[in-house]
Amino acid sequence: MTQRATLPMTIALLITTLGFATLIFVQEANSPPLIYGAYYAGTMVALYLGVRLWLPHSDVLLLPMVTLLTGVGLIMIYRLTYEVPGVENLATTQAGWILVGAGALVAVVIFLRDYQKLFAYKYLLALAAVGFVASTFTPLGYEVNGARLWLQIGSVTFQPSEFARIALIIFFAGYLAEKRDLWAATSKSFMGIQLPALKYFGPVALVWAASLGLLIFEKDLGSSLLFFAVPVLMLYAATGRIAYVILGALLFAIGSFATYLAFSHVQLRVSTWLDPWSDPDDSGFQIAQSIFNIADGGITGTGLGAGFSQTIPEVETDFVFSTIASELGLLGSTAFLLVFLVFVYRGIKISLLAGDDASKLLAFGLTAMFAMQTLIIVGGVTKAIPLTGITLPFVSYGGSSVLGNFVLTGLLLVVSEKAGKRSDAEEARYEAPEKAAV
Amino acid sequence: MNAQLRRTFYLFVAGFVALVGVLAYWQVYARESLATDPANRLQSRRVQEVPRGLILAGDGETEIARSEQDGGGGTYSRVYPEGPLYAGVTGYWSTKYGASGLEISQNNNLSGAGEPETLDELINQFSGGPQAGNDVELTLDPELQRLAYDGLASSSTGRGAVVALNPKNGEILSLVSYPSFDPNDIDENFEELAQDPNFPLVNRATQGLYPPGSTFKVITAAAALKAGVKTSDKFKDNGTYETPGYTVYNYRAKEYGQQTFEQALANSVNTIFARIGNEKVGAEALAQKAEDFGFYDPYEDFALPIAPSFFNPPPEQWDQGNIAQSSFGQQTVSSTVFEMANVAGAIANGGTMMQPRLVREVRSPDGAIIDKPTSSVHSRALDEETAGTLTDMMEAAVTQVEKGAEIPGVKVAGKTGTAEAPGGELHSWFISFAPADDPEIAVAVMIENGQEGYKQALPLARRLMEAHLRKEGELPNEAPSPPPAQPQGETTQPGAQPARPQNEGPSQFPFQNPFRSPDQAPGKAPAQNPNQPPGQPPNQPPGQPPNQPQGQPPNQRPGG
Repeated sequence: MTQRATLPMTIALLITTLGFATLIFVQEANSPPLIYGAYYAGTMVALYLGVRLWLPHSDVLLLPMVTLLTGVGLIMIYRLTYEVPGVENLATTQAGWILVGAGALVAVVIFLRDYQKLFAYKYLLALAAVGFVASTFTPLGYEVNGARLWLQIGSVTFQPSEFARIALIIFFAGYLAEKRDLWAATSKSFMGIQLPALKYFGPVALVWAASLGLLIFEKDLGSSLLFFAVPVLMLYAATGRIAYVILGALLFAIGSFATYLAFSHVQLRVSTWLDPWSDPDDSGFQIAQSIFNIADGGITGTGLGAGFSQTIPEVETDFVFSTIASELGLLGSTAFLLVFLVFVYRGIKISLLAGDDASKLLAFGLTAMFAMQTLIIVGGVTKAIPLTGITLPFVSYGGSSVLGNFVLTGLLLVVSEKAGKRSDAEEARYEAPEKAAV
Repeated sequence: MNAQLRRTFYLFVAGFVALVGVLAYWQVYARESLATDPANRLQSRRVQEVPRGLILAGDGETEIARSEQDGGGGTYSRVYPEGPLYAGVTGYWSTKYGASGLEISQNNNLSGAGEPETLDELINQFSGGPQAGNDVELTLDPELQRLAYDGLASSSTGRGAVVALNPKNGEILSLVSYPSFDPNDIDENFEELAQDPNFPLVNRATQGLYPPGSTFKVITAAAALKAGVKTSDKFKDNGTYETPGYTVYNYRAKEYGQQTFEQALANSVNTIFARIGNEKVGAEALAQKAEDFGFYDPYEDFALPIAPSFFNPPPEQWDQGNIAQSSFGQQTVSSTVFEMANVAGAIANGGTMMQPRLVREVRSPDGAIIDKPTSSVHSRALDEETAGTLTDMMEAAVTQVEKGAEIPGVKVAGKTGTAEAPGGELHSWFISFAPADDPEIAVAVMIENGQEGYKQALPLARRLMEAHLRKEGELPNEAPSPPPAQPQGETTQPGAQPARPQNEGPSQFPFQNPFRSPDQAPGKAPAQNPNQPPGQPPNQPPGQPPNQPQGQPPNQRPGG
């Protein structure tokens, strides 16, 4: 495990500073109150030092990646909103959410050091996940853009599905680790695909169906894709059976087709994906504007602050990547995607090094969700796949998303701490005789 | 389990690689087509937010076009300090009506939208700094431009074009089309300008196709010299030249009798040229020579679009009547003023046509030179010997006949044209260069319906050459007293030109008859003798010549 990342951390903060300096001095943007910059940098540095102190064996390289992603996210949100009346404080709000997220991460690090206790409450967590999603149907929930996935408590609104996903991953990790052998060695088969006994399959299918059903009713297609794909990948990781992936994909295809037939807004999504140019001023407007702006960037980009991606509706949330591609170009956006990939790489590495199945599956599930979420939204805004409204982790504006991803990072850190301890101990065992020989 | 984890990781890597591929598709492969998609309004927004580069005249100081910041909004608009003077060259730049001229052909330079060329631009692009457009410095001489513009403005019809160039390096010194328009007010006036019957939005110099009339005789002469005709060869003119179905007459029915080839060009004897065209040159050689001189050439490397000069019907279909008329630049022949200026330039430069150039230099806003086209050979129209002979002939045309073009102390070579215009008055042409032995400037002037070449086009061309030569130190700085036959002053009334009091003004001129006869060949040449009254209006019955191009009035009667 990487136990020191001071240089990457410094670079990440310097890049963020450079971005803001460019906006303020080159684009002559009004400077945001500098104190927010200090809060942000202080938060991330304190987080880094704290994690190194509390979790000395953990993979702290995750934190420079988080810093770079949130930093670029802040730059982009600021760039997109500083002169737009009504939302000019969006970046400082996001900085506040990052502070809250950092607090949540610290809470995870302190209270869930022994994360394996969570697996004992896996059924409770599954229930909580379903409850989270269902809560939007209570009077507290409300609808945005036709999707009912928001919860309002007082003046704070958040998306419970962000947390439901994490709870569900913990459930699957615990459950699959426990029943792994039973799933791998099955007796029954259906159409050539061997299936486990229904009683093992049951809880998984139930949680799955419940979450999916609710999400379909909430019309949150991106989340439902994540809810489906991540457990399938975990199932594959746990059992090594590609049949589950095929079965899952088949089920998802059937489900997608059914939703396509059932919901007009899904049909619209697909038709605008296939041909946004036929109606570029109305239904195809968002995706067409996204593509125009991305193309406008070219190889080197228009330059920070010089693009026109404010023409894209929802640009600071779902479409923030279009701004990055437009203003930083192919080179900048590829580099930015690499940051995500490094995060995914570290996540998989944590999973590889983890000592027990549940920890492996937990780290893998969290990483897979992070990776899938990135691929789905970037693929959506680049018209590679139909657009589904989810956030780009750490970058898009949105409190729940930032908070959820900090919790996710915290969980990866505590898993890596344990894995790191284990591998350090093993290394010590190998190294000791060598030293003796010299 | 680790094998599955690794495999899944490779799947994710594949996903990220695929996304980079998709981005590359949009940002590199499909970029151009998306930028021009009509639904894409980003470009026109960018246009307003970025200052375009300056367009400067050849003196490096005169600003022809610049971008000025609008009050506070961060947007820029285009200002043309010289108004309509350079409009034919710069064109207009409108967010409403698009762009024309250099504004569009040099857009990549002016907008700074091209790929970064200097380190500064690259840094600017990365940092999001304003990518101001590059400055474009032209070859145009502001003095000649103004002189040509004023000259056209005060011509009898107020319609015409001038192209002046440096024959040695191809730099365009003046390019004017009149009437022009004010590109500053294009958004307000576009509809009106587009419907103006005088077509102010059309660049007559580069887009207007006219019968070149007798100025084309220099090309016929070049072909004849190549075919072995000597300047001293004698030809007899009895006033007509018969072909099956078409009879050539001289301008104003003049009879010249015995003429050398040189005299025939000087006097612009149609019958002799028709004879030479048919008997010595032939359709193929004539058309080939015209092509050597740039006919059918769109001059694609030139900064403005050029309408190729051409023959209609094509030479393969010519009969003797067509050849006869083509030999003196009528009927089948259509050319631009730009083309005829290049013809003069090629003869002046020993038969080598230099690539005409309008852009001298492209500079980044901080002065770094980004592009500096060098002079290059466009084509070889003639061998040097033939060019020399032709120059001598054109010089003789000035010294013996077109004395109005003479500039004291300098040898001038030139050829007038009085071209039969479809459905209107004669077009007044003059092509020339000076000094004939070491040319500094070649000029083509055309006044639409401006009557005889010597009346309108010639004085203007002479003034341009004189002004240029004085500037180049070839002439004393003080204005030399104009030759008595050529007043310096601009005359809006051609009939009032004191130099040729014997010539009637256009109102008295006979060719308003829509049924002008093909048989008429009113003699221009004798009329050039100020001591002779103009010939009687020919009034012969109209006869339809064969192979008459469609839509053209049934007659051409060019004069020299």
